[in-house]
Amino acid sequence: MTFPMDSGKDCVRAWETMPWFLQDNATQEQGAWLEDHLAQCESCRAEFAQQSRLRLALSLPSDVPVDADVGLGCLLARLDMPDPQELRPRSRSGNWLSRALVAAVLVQALGLGVLGVKLWSVGGTPSYRTLSQETLPAAPGAIRVVPDANMTLADWNALLHALRLQVVSGPNDVGAYTVAPVSSASTAQHALQQLRTTRGIRLAEPVAATP
Amino acid sequence: MNDDDIDSDATDRMLLQRMAADDRVALGILYRSYHGRLCRFLTRLTRRADVIEEVINDCFWIAWQKAGSFHGDSRVSTWLMGIAYRCGLKALRQHGDEPVEDDARQEERTPAHDLDEDRELRDWLGKGLERLSVDQRVVIELVYGVGHSLDDVAVIMQCPVGTVKARLFHARVKLRNVLPALAGESPKRTGNAP
Repeated sequence: MTFPMDSGKDCVRAWETMPWFLQDNATQEQGAWLEDHLAQCESCRAEFAQQSRLRLALSLPSDVPVDADVGLGCLLARLDMPDPQELRPRSRSGNWLSRALVAAVLVQALGLGVLGVKLWSVGGTPSYRTLSQETLPAAPGAIRVVPDANMTLADWNALLHALRLQVVSGPNDVGAYTVAPVSSASTAQHALQQLRTTRGIRLAEPVAATP
Repeated sequence: MNDDDIDSDATDRMLLQRMAADDRVALGILYRSYHGRLCRFLTRLTRRADVIEEVINDCFWIAWQKAGSFHGDSRVSTWLMGIAYRCGLKALRQHGDEPVEDDARQEERTPAHDLDEDRELRDWLGKGLERLSVDQRVVIELVYGVGHSLDDVAVIMQCPVGTVKARLFHARVKLRNVLPALAGESPKRTGNAP
């Protein structure tokens, strides 16, 4: 805000006081001071005359015809109408949207149900085992056998056949097999003794005895 | 606030209390007593009679709904003007502020009892206000037309008093430079302020 050089402090004060004086809201002291200043300052007098004219022009009634009775009638009629905010949830578009959302949720729920039943029916054992799962129980009479590396496949097969054993798993990382009696008729204890005495078998231990 | 303002505010509060109790007669009294000044205030925003009526009715619709929650933090007139101002701005956004009537119809509409002097004064004012922004026109109307204080205007426009002061200052400077020329005088001063 800049003031021309010829404006004194009093002119600034008069400028600020004018609107409130014109409103009749200036104090008596402010009013008396302004009148005194206007009597001796032509510039502020001209400004005050313009401000007075502005005030007069702004106090003229509106020249845009708006009928108060008609307006009030419309307002009272509006009060008798149901609240549009209450109607909004019941509107057609609102219903359509809600129904579409409900339908989408139902379809999703149905899909999840079908998928769940399908997975449950497939069941079966997974092709992996977690560390927290217990190891599968060994077959009854199972023996862990480590054959010598020089043992031929024919000798190994012949030995298993003679003792009526079959390989149920292996070889593992260290070349150990798990063998079990083909039928319950053959005794595991006898087979174990035979294995231990057979040349070419480095180790034979019952699985149950393994710590 | 002078004694008349205090009396009139007490009456308005009583009417609001009655409105809160669903008294439509009270609504009618308040409506009629504010119709003129709201009309004039809203002509500073738009010249469309239909929009002005719509805004006044929106304003009193809100007043009717909220009459019970008026706690008297400000005068009723300040509260109502604030509602009208916000409804007016909303209407401006929806309808624009261009006049819909041509000059010929405007001539017909001018009240027959409007003296030449008044017509000239209106014309002078209208051309001056055209140079102001909406916010500046509103401040000028509220201070010079309605007679509100800076604090009241700040409440109505929901802005700091400093902002109101700045708007009033700039509006006055603009009018000071423009109005004498519109009245056929040559502007004596071209400065920003006294």
